[in-house]
Amino acid sequence: MDDLPDRDPLAILEALLFLSEAPLPVERIEEILEGRSKEEITRLLSALQERCRQEDRGLWLAEVAGGYRLLTKPELAPWVQRLRGTKPAKLSRAALETLAIIAYKQPITKPEIEAIRGVMIDGVLKTLVDRDLIRILGRKAEVGRPILYGTNRAFLEYFGFKDLSELPTLKEIEALAPDTARIEARDEAVGETRKPDTIA
Amino acid sequence: MGYRVRLEMFEGPLDLLLYLIQVNEIDIYDIPIAKITEEYLACLASMQELDLEVAGEFLVLAATLIHIKSKMLIPAEEIAEEEVPEEDPRKELVERLLEYKRFKEAAMTLEEVESRQQLLYARPADPSVPVTDGRLEVSLSELLRAFAAIMERATAAAVLEITPEAISVGERMMALLDRLTLESPLPFTALFDGAGTRALLIATFLALLELLRRGLVRARQSDSDGEITIYRTMGRWEGGDGRPA
Repeated sequence: MDDLPDRDPLAILEALLFLSEAPLPVERIEEILEGRSKEEITRLLSALQERCRQEDRGLWLAEVAGGYRLLTKPELAPWVQRLRGTKPAKLSRAALETLAIIAYKQPITKPEIEAIRGVMIDGVLKTLVDRDLIRILGRKAEVGRPILYGTNRAFLEYFGFKDLSELPTLKEIEALAPDTARIEARDEAVGETRKPDTIA
Repeated sequence: MGYRVRLEMFEGPLDLLLYLIQVNEIDIYDIPIAKITEEYLACLASMQELDLEVAGEFLVLAATLIHIKSKMLIPAEEIAEEEVPEEDPRKELVERLLEYKRFKEAAMTLEEVESRQQLLYARPADPSVPVTDGRLEVSLSELLRAFAAIMERATAAAVLEITPEAISVGERMMALLDRLTLESPLPFTALFDGAGTRALLIATFLALLELLRRGLVRARQSDSDGEITIYRTMGRWEGGDGRPA
């Protein structure tokens, strides 16, 4: 690459994050800044994060979907919405249920999702594909070779997760079986092994 | 029944059953099947107009409930005599209900996360200004693979081809460019809409490759198995400064 003049790295970082349409991974920042270590970049990112925290700044730096991106602060949403003119469309409950099943049980086929929900999901799956929240992971090695679905990076961005381990805990069945839930909770505390929340 | 329900309120038969269990304050591990079946059927009966497809899904669970109810009517001694290990006929249904309930709750949590997230705005993707990003660029082999899939689908129709017509790659380039100027971005597959013959498909693909080489359009892919999208580059690189497409 060409020799670039010295500029404040924090300014460069801010410019990159301002322009980037997708969360910017640290590795990509490393490539662009050249010659700065990962530790240095992480330090720069926290410095920028610190500055954003000031009340007179409208943006904050979020870590999401394997990278960093600038987002407007939540308390400023009313004004940003005026600028945009429309409120973002929410997912239907059917779409959210289907998405939850895919997120926690991926890779999973359509019949498997339908078995859990007890309804056909063709329309919902299409919506989720159209909104770019799920992707095809492959085909299952069984009769009919059904398509396997999973979530994609846009799913993480949509919900603001760093990665899949940030999915909220699947609530145990405490509401219906308080005793069982308590016993399980105790076991977990003793064992000290918090697995990422997947379910069998 | 002291309450009125409408099927549209529910995401499916399991959702309705969970609701009935909840309003009747029933222990999910000890469901009074006769009572709940009666309530469930009463709900279905109260529906004036039923969408046939939706009704089917609700009726499947009704059949399951009736089946469980009939099994539970068989006196326990009879089962014991046949030395069948004693299993609660409700067990499978309870497991399904609990499984569904977990995801229903997970969906509600996701909904809360969605609401919070929708207060945050990021720079919207601007398709006319593709940002170079190594991972989003499409390789020739990926383009070829996508094209092979299109050719495969066209094979059957090609047999009917009779009239030979002159096809030029140059013409296809102009046509693609015209279309992309109006409609950029377009999915890769959409470029081949209306190109019925194999010759036309191949000419279109060659035209696309040429446009990519000249930097007049760009190809991007959101992930390795994702759909390829073609963007018009607003003629910014028309001078041919050697930027790879």
